[in-house]
Amino acid sequence: MSVNDSVIALFLENAARSAAVVHRAEGAEQLRAKVSEIAAPDEDLFCPLVTELEKAAAAGCTRFVPGYASARVTVEEVSAAIAETGSIVCASSNGKAVQASLLPAHHVAIVPRDRIFATLDDFFAAFATAPPTNITLITGPSRTADIELNLVIGVHGPERLDIIVV
Amino acid sequence: MKTQTSLDFRTNAAAAVEDGALRQAMRNATDTIGTKRSDAMESVDFSALREKASAIRMEVLDNLPAYLERFTAQATKAGASVHRAADAGSANAIIAEILRRNNVRMVAKGKSMISEETHLNAHLEKEGFEVVETDLGEYIIQLAGETPSHILVPAIHKNRQQVGRLFAEKLGVDYSEDPQVLTKIARKALREKFLTADAGISGANFAIAESGSLVLFTNEGNGRMVTSVPPLHIAILSIEKILPSLADLPTFMRLLPRSATGQMLTSYVSILTGNRKEGDATGARELHIVLLDNGRSEIVKGDCREMLKCIRCGACMNVCPVYRTVGGHAYGWTYPGPMGIVLTTLLTGMAESHPLVDASTLCGACNDACPVKVPLQEMILKQRVRRVSEGFSPATVSMGMRLFGAAVNSPLLFSFGERLAGWFWSLLRRVGGENVFGRLPRPAKSPFSRRMP
Amino acid sequence: MHVQLFGTCLVDTFFPEVGEAVVRIFDRFGVGFTFPKGQTCCGQPAYNAGYMAEAKGAAEHFISVFGSTSDPIVTPSGSCATMVKHHYPELFRNDPEKLRAAEQVAGRVYELSQFLVNVLRVHETNLTGSGRVTYHSSCHLTRTLGVTEEPLALIEALKGAGFVPMPDAARCCGFGGMFMAKLPEISMAIADDKAQSIIATGADTVTGCDCGCLMNIADALRKRGSSVRVRHIAELVAEGL
Repeated sequence: MSVNDSVIALFLENAARSAAVVHRAEGAEQLRAKVSEIAAPDEDLFCPLVTELEKAAAAGCTRFVPGYASARVTVEEVSAAIAETGSIVCASSNGKAVQASLLPAHHVAIVPRDRIFATLDDFFAAFATAPPTNITLITGPSRTADIELNLVIGVHGPERLDIIVV
Repeated sequence: MKTQTSLDFRTNAAAAVEDGALRQAMRNATDTIGTKRSDAMESVDFSALREKASAIRMEVLDNLPAYLERFTAQATKAGASVHRAADAGSANAIIAEILRRNNVRMVAKGKSMISEETHLNAHLEKEGFEVVETDLGEYIIQLAGETPSHILVPAIHKNRQQVGRLFAEKLGVDYSEDPQVLTKIARKALREKFLTADAGISGANFAIAESGSLVLFTNEGNGRMVTSVPPLHIAILSIEKILPSLADLPTFMRLLPRSATGQMLTSYVSILTGNRKEGDATGARELHIVLLDNGRSEIVKGDCREMLKCIRCGACMNVCPVYRTVGGHAYGWTYPGPMGIVLTTLLTGMAESHPLVDASTLCGACNDACPVKVPLQEMILKQRVRRVSEGFSPATVSMGMRLFGAAVNSPLLFSFGERLAGWFWSLLRRVGGENVFGRLPRPAKSPFSRRMP
Repeated sequence: MHVQLFGTCLVDTFFPEVGEAVVRIFDRFGVGFTFPKGQTCCGQPAYNAGYMAEAKGAAEHFISVFGSTSDPIVTPSGSCATMVKHHYPELFRNDPEKLRAAEQVAGRVYELSQFLVNVLRVHETNLTGSGRVTYHSSCHLTRTLGVTEEPLALIEALKGAGFVPMPDAARCCGFGGMFMAKLPEISMAIADDKAQSIIATGADTVTGCDCGCLMNIADALRKRGSSVRVRHIAELVAEGL
């Protein structure tokens, strides 16, 4: 999918509005540098290390843990993104554990630019036939307003979401 | 007396009116959500979206049995077990049985208004299961031993000081009234529950017929937790919550969060299709879907069928002047506000809940706010007609209406009535009370019609 | 220009001065009018309570009193205009003959400010006023009849008076017809919120197009010890002639 710059810009704008922290990186080296900047060196880090981007991203990290359940931060490539809403998409296809974007307090999502859909309709058109067991659209970190409608970021899901468009 | 019922709305409401903290909480909540909702609607064509959403919902209601069959077949193909529950009792029994079969001790529960309707928690606790509510608002009211007062923000009637005191008392933590601190306390307390629960129970916002998927709109992450961490997931929802296909979701993704909380989109939208399959690293190993009827297949045939279009956004109660004043508990059952008046009287029957039909000034603000064009104002009126025809209107009112009916048709009787009211005004005031007659001016000595040629 | 005047039962019983204000406006603008004798009530109280037989009776009486002329029927009440215009045809939807008669009458009903602005163009004439005026936008008038601009045009036309909008002008005042008698505690609480909105504007006058609302608002203002004047739009215009 060839994605034009205005779609990427819209995605970044809407993602930022949802309280995600957004970044751009060109190529493996910039990606690695970004991840080292974002994920503190003393944090237990989980990365699936399945895709090329994931391997490049985690190249500078040292404190790996094998399971996301005990990690403080997950760094992973996500399945897609949607510009209309600023959402990233985690899907369970190919044995991906969607919980890796849920349990740790910090989620770092790598979005390949050619996986950004312009609208929700475009996204569902691609995924509608035979959806995998779990598709989760993530728009910002977890939040609640249950107490006096006072917005609190960071409840049961991640307290912080970083998105890196590559 | 036929009109007697335990749902004493007027008394409940009068008590609520006197509760200063509640009034303040409700004003704060409805004003805040109101502003956020209008701001959020600026980025979409609300009028066009609601036409589309209404049409999709009516298509489903017009063909409900076929869509239910399709959903069941597809969900089953995807590895779920689908159960049909005729009523609350059978839904609760089905769920208890599934838990028992799996030797469940502790259940982590996400928010589900349907489970409130069936009183699921009470049943499960009686059967010996531990049920932990994990949505922050539901967690708060569970600790307080209360029921939700709003369908989306269950603890809206509580201020931060009340929550702070509750946590200090029930959880043994230091008192804090900072929502940030209180939320982190809940995060810590519930994390352990998510990880050790034997089962997760959730609701669902929609069920997709074409793919057999469940869709959950959530913000906190607890909905994701209970549907994917424990090995067993039970989802309970009512039969009308169906959408034909995933392609219909965008319309509702644009409408529901904006109407409900003024958000563009909730932090999470989970689309769950069946259980964990070969090669998956995500999903409950065992997924059960309980579809509750509880009278809906009858309602869908009747003159208030459009009530079943409802997508549980809460916009109607947020704009309702009555709800804003008395809060949710006064309505005496699961659903408050305008949709509560209609759904409660439909589901529980006039004998139980007829006082609710008076809980409206018929101002119509709910009609304007509803994202699926449920004609709430018209249906509240329909239920008032039904109350009269089924004999639940008090005898005094019926008598008064008969007198009124005679007077409007007879100008002589009408003007005589006006004169009588004038002569006996002080007596009327004493008998009828300051709260009614004391608020009206004295009738004019010379009515307008007498001054006309 | 000739019209039929429907006073309404609230004006007849409690606020004849509003009716007289309407007459003064008609006289000034050369509008001949008939006050059809035998008019009583539009039937809303029965309709809203679900007593459709009595509501139909009231409607049939209204239709017979107002006949089938081609004159506009003008009424100083948004809720009564709504009842005749929107609900009379609904009441007789299953009876073709009565439906025809109902539609004939419904088709020529005007709420007062609609008539004054859209037909008589009163807002383009020289009117005077004073002080600061705020406006309560009643529910049926706003949401069913769709009348939002006309009352404001009339207020704007009062030279010497300043308009100050109130927050949530279209939020219900809590009258709701029989609601004020069935659930008075809630009604008074809602009215009190409305009174506070009015007082917060700093206005010395609040106006509106429905006597039921204004009556309820006046009571709430009185309970707050406020000296804000409560006037029907007809009275403000008549005062400004």
